[in-house]
Amino acid sequence: MELRKTTVHRVAEAVLEGEITAHQLIDKTLKNCSVLNEGLNIFNAVAGVDATEQARAIDEKIKQGGELPLAGIPITVKDDLCYGVLPTSFGSSAFSEFISPVTAAVVESLMEAGAVVIGKTNLDDMGQGSTTLTSPGGATANPWQAERTAGSAGAAAVATGICMLAVESDSGGALRQGASHCGVAGLRPTTGRVSRHGLNAHCSSFARVGITAFSCENISGVLDIISGFDERDAATAVCRKGIPEIIKTPGSEDITIGYPVTAFDFLQPELREVFEQARDDFAGLGYKIKNIDLGLLREGLQAYYIIALAEASSNHARFDGIRFGKTGEADNLENMYFQSRAEILGKEARRRSIFGTFLLSKGNYGRYYRQALKIWELIRQEFAGVLKECDLLMLPTAKNLPRQLKGEVSFLDEWSDDFFCAPVSLSGMPALTIPAGQVNRIPVGMQLVGPPFSEKTLLAVGSTSGPRDTGTL
Amino acid sequence: MKYEVVIGLEVHVELLTGCKLFCACPNRFVPEPNVNTCPVCLGFPGILPQMSREALQQALTAAVALNCKVALYSYFDRKNYFYPDMPKGYQISQYHIPLGSSGYLEIEDDRGVLKKVGIGRVHMEEDAGKLLHETAGASGGSSMVDYNRAGVPLIEIVSEPDLRSSLEARRYLEKLKSIMQYAGVSDCKMEEGSLRCDANVSLRNPGEEIFGIKTELKNMNSFRAVEKSLDHEIKRQAGILDSGEKVATQTLRWDEDRQETIVMRGKLEADDYRCFADPELAPIQLAETEVEKARHNLPEMAGERAKRFVEEYGLPEYDAGVLTASRCLADYFESCLEFFNKPKEVSNWVMGEFSAHLNNAGLEADQASFVPEDMAELLQMIDNQEISGKIAKEVLEKAFQGGKKPRRVVEEEGLLQISDQSELESIVDRIISENPDTVESYRGGKSKALGHLVGQVMKETRGKANPQLVNELLVKKIDSQ
Amino acid sequence: MDSAAVGLEKAIEAIKIGVSDPERDQLHRELDQFLGWLEPALEVDTGDLEGLVFSHEAINVLREDTPRQSDLAELQEAAPNFTGGFYLVPKIME
Repeated sequence: MELRKTTVHRVAEAVLEGEITAHQLIDKTLKNCSVLNEGLNIFNAVAGVDATEQARAIDEKIKQGGELPLAGIPITVKDDLCYGVLPTSFGSSAFSEFISPVTAAVVESLMEAGAVVIGKTNLDDMGQGSTTLTSPGGATANPWQAERTAGSAGAAAVATGICMLAVESDSGGALRQGASHCGVAGLRPTTGRVSRHGLNAHCSSFARVGITAFSCENISGVLDIISGFDERDAATAVCRKGIPEIIKTPGSEDITIGYPVTAFDFLQPELREVFEQARDDFAGLGYKIKNIDLGLLREGLQAYYIIALAEASSNHARFDGIRFGKTGEADNLENMYFQSRAEILGKEARRRSIFGTFLLSKGNYGRYYRQALKIWELIRQEFAGVLKECDLLMLPTAKNLPRQLKGEVSFLDEWSDDFFCAPVSLSGMPALTIPAGQVNRIPVGMQLVGPPFSEKTLLAVGSTSGPRDTGTL
Repeated sequence: MKYEVVIGLEVHVELLTGCKLFCACPNRFVPEPNVNTCPVCLGFPGILPQMSREALQQALTAAVALNCKVALYSYFDRKNYFYPDMPKGYQISQYHIPLGSSGYLEIEDDRGVLKKVGIGRVHMEEDAGKLLHETAGASGGSSMVDYNRAGVPLIEIVSEPDLRSSLEARRYLEKLKSIMQYAGVSDCKMEEGSLRCDANVSLRNPGEEIFGIKTELKNMNSFRAVEKSLDHEIKRQAGILDSGEKVATQTLRWDEDRQETIVMRGKLEADDYRCFADPELAPIQLAETEVEKARHNLPEMAGERAKRFVEEYGLPEYDAGVLTASRCLADYFESCLEFFNKPKEVSNWVMGEFSAHLNNAGLEADQASFVPEDMAELLQMIDNQEISGKIAKEVLEKAFQGGKKPRRVVEEEGLLQISDQSELESIVDRIISENPDTVESYRGGKSKALGHLVGQVMKETRGKANPQLVNELLVKKIDSQ
Repeated sequence: MDSAAVGLEKAIEAIKIGVSDPERDQLHRELDQFLGWLEPALEVDTGDLEGLVFSHEAINVLREDTPRQSDLAELQEAAPNFTGGFYLVPKIME
């Protein structure tokens, strides 16, 4: 069974009907895994016996008439999400053998539905980045062009057909840019829709847990399973009385797509052409296109970095070498702190925590942090205003083609890759990235951004647009 | 003294919830270290805090009990600093918007005049763990951390700098403790750390508007220690000012053994905690009606209870005041009445002997093994003339210390009162014949002399004779001679 | 040192992260670049706008007061230095 060419629904059905057992499917997947992982550096940890055992247990449940909508579906989990069976590194070499006492809520839900975790995927230093270039274990290569980064290892796993679903985190755009670079679909859900229990967020205000998959249909198949109130994540209380879905159906209802004209001026011409084509294709499919204005993208990106770094300095303060991780050899407390923390946090994480501390300090707090909170509010208002004029809007996902694995890139250039993603994170709106086209055989994705809880509309619209011509691997 | 004393107190009080503030770990003291811990209060990566409803309710009760304005919208901030007892590298606390503000409580000042002491803020926060520094043992040259207390819900109550003497400070603390106990939100046992107090002290010339340079006092483990360390610090500052020097901004620690304050650290600049709203928690929004309900539902406070004791039980105001000073003692008193309904007698014994034993043992009324049923049993025996009041004191002491029932003490020690006339007659006869002079005095009209004779009989019977009966017998016998 | 440089040194001290001398020099250069990069955000006229504080609209998310014990062995195994029931740190001089 070629996982890339089918759907989650069809595979689960095949397992439920006995065409193939979960055990056979997972066995094959794990074998595939080692072949395809070669040279790409997707995994921090690969499941072995435990995945096989899980698959056997699923087969057993099926025999007893269990309802498992994701029976046997192989999934990967980004390594900033806890999974109590395999090590969770959080993107730190000091945690390469750390077994978390919990399993992330999303992973729990997917497993209950029959999915099988086949591995933990690579990520940036303490999960901070959208390239994997700062990973302590080295970057993940792009399956389309191995000298470039995949952006996200989970997306690479989906693109190569190693797994059908990748559980990913997204703060400034890691999930979305990874999916964009690998030519697959990825959903960053509305704030509060999906529980973040078990996610080590470097930035709690903007971190979300989402799904990357080969198609919108596959994401739709699991959205309900991972959505809803979880008492372990306060933000999900907005779904306590059910999810306030906003659903519009393409074809039977008029749907207006907002096109922020000036936003595309920030792109290289060859990328810009891809989006103009995508816009025209949407028009051809019967969507109304409306030109709109988004004026604060650059400032949104900057505000995102101020808040993200400030929160990271605090979120990562728990890594002190006392209760978990490694501790530095030291004869006094101060040295113990400095050594342990330098060992646990890599260079990027150190930079972010130190700058974040600077931004929150007396004298800088008002100038930077408070100003960022105000820009955050302005971005909220701006997106909310725009989404009154249209049902959803389209934006590029990544500002550039994926970065070269070799070659110097300044930290600010790397941060600037989040140009179109970070402001969307500030808006709190859901964003779906789907393939828009390609440049020199490298996939390019676009974001569809809708009002809160419009994920089902975004996925429906996304399905009508594809499969787009992204070529084959 | 020629200076005016200015004192402000920062008090931390542990709430009486079942769980910690942000996790389900039990909030109770256990001797074994690191037993009440979980991924949340140990700060494990990826685990989010979950706010306790009960803690919010108790904090709200405390705020209204202290006459505070309650913030209808508030939230938690992170106070960022490193110390091994603080698992996450930050303390979750209400920094920007405290739950309660602009409150007050009333105390008597040095001249006995009622005065309002302002309360600037009442806010919720989580407690830290505990550090132990032992040189020997398995830990070698290490310090040891126990996170049992990490995450226990606290409220911090910050007074305005309205206190003008160490005595006022002590009265403020006593009143605060009484209010918190009556409100049912904390047991406020300073020796056990469920009430902790830091003090800011400065001196200034009378009539001056601006405050003098203040020092901060820490590590005071009893109300007495607060009063003493403040006296010590006031004297020290006065000495510095007298000599024309300036007081240094410092944090000082009270050393109970040496009975003096010791400099912990000088402060070069204010600490920078980089506080910002904790993005992992939801804000708190209260309706005006909820706050009103909390005010309306406030339990009876000491003053009201004392008034009720006077009206309902006919106690003198003095008794009512003493009994209600501690909620525990007042509860004890009322429990006794359920078994023995003679309020004044119960009051005498609870205020007198029982309280004396509590003080000696350093216990609160609810910690004594001599429970209200025991007190009732004892008083019932007096009432039945089975024992005398004097014997009862002895019985109470034995029962209090040995944990035995009073009746059992009486039985085991053979303390039952002698009310048998024939048994007493022979002793009375002997005493009359041995004390002819005293008998003469009595006959001569000195009624005091009879008391002396009664005393002799009581002594002879080791206090067990029924004094009334002895009295009657003596009078009868002397008159008939 | 200019104020940003002083601030950076204080930040390193406050957040307790050991950095080598070359890394420290690099951080000083990078902070200048970063602060320059942030300039446009500082120029946004935000007037008397209240900043946003929470990314979500949930309020009063409260847990019931039912105590529960956790599996301790699993938690304590993760600690680098755990002996005799205690987490150990280098001796603190009080």
